[in-house]
Amino acid sequence: MNTNHHISDKAELEKLIGRYFDGETTVQEEHQLRQCLADCRWNSELIDEARFAMGFFAIDAQERSRGRNRRSHHITGIAASIALLIGVGAFALWHQHVRDNMCVAYVDGSVVNDDDEVMALIRQDLNTMGEASQGMSEQLMSLGAALELDNE
Amino acid sequence: MKRTIIIILTCLLTVTTVMAQQGLKINRLFDGHFKNSPNVTEIIVTGKKAGELGLSVYHSLATTDQDKGELIESLVVKDGAHAVEKDVEYRNGQLYYGFYTLRAPTKKRDGQYLFFLNQRLARKSPKNVVTLIYMEGKGDSEQIKKLIRK
Repeated sequence: MNTNHHISDKAELEKLIGRYFDGETTVQEEHQLRQCLADCRWNSELIDEARFAMGFFAIDAQERSRGRNRRSHHITGIAASIALLIGVGAFALWHQHVRDNMCVAYVDGSVVNDDDEVMALIRQDLNTMGEASQGMSEQLMSLGAALELDNE
Repeated sequence: MKRTIIIILTCLLTVTTVMAQQGLKINRLFDGHFKNSPNVTEIIVTGKKAGELGLSVYHSLATTDQDKGELIESLVVKDGAHAVEKDVEYRNGQLYYGFYTLRAPTKKRDGQYLFFLNQRLARKSPKNVVTLIYMEGKGDSEQIKKLIRK
């Protein structure tokens, strides 16, 4: 049958439906039939049956398409979640690496990045702390000595 | 998708909150907000350079600002209350010197130590400086004390 052929009457349509149910129609004829069933106003048991059958297939195809879309959304969601996790993990590792290798000082709001300068500042802090600690030890020793003298 | 992202973010937030809760009171001094402050010297050393001192973390603050000094003292005293070992000296009702072992080192975890000094209360040449040093390392308290005696 010609692709451009227009189904002109109900009988022709029913004949085509009969051929469709017998599995004798071409793809082009099925397309034509589907279009005619959607557009025409003819009714009969056979036409309704064809409408139902083809409508059912259409709905089924739609459902399958929706299912595919849902699956596709699901896969996209999982992929995005994995990407997010990898991103967070990579950031955490990078952040950990930076945190694990720092040598910096902030003096009155100015940044000191020179390792030697920073280590010198540390040495200064430790020396100050050491002097105070030593003073405390000396105090304790003299207190101990005084107590010993008292005991004698 | 949105639900998954919300769940992941909620988990991250929970973990972060729990980690923050496990921290010390002095952690609020080390959150970086003193970096741009005048009258404050903050030093952060971790990794290789800290390893040269036998430590894994060295973090200190020294300030000439009285309010900041008092804040440091109050937080040190709070954390010091839970120390497993301490060596402190008060002068005129104020903390002058403190060495605290906040956590003794184990095979799995480094020890945590604090040094505090208020040089305003020093008898010999007092200075308007309050210093706090936080350290983490595998060494025990005696090894840490040796660092300041070198």
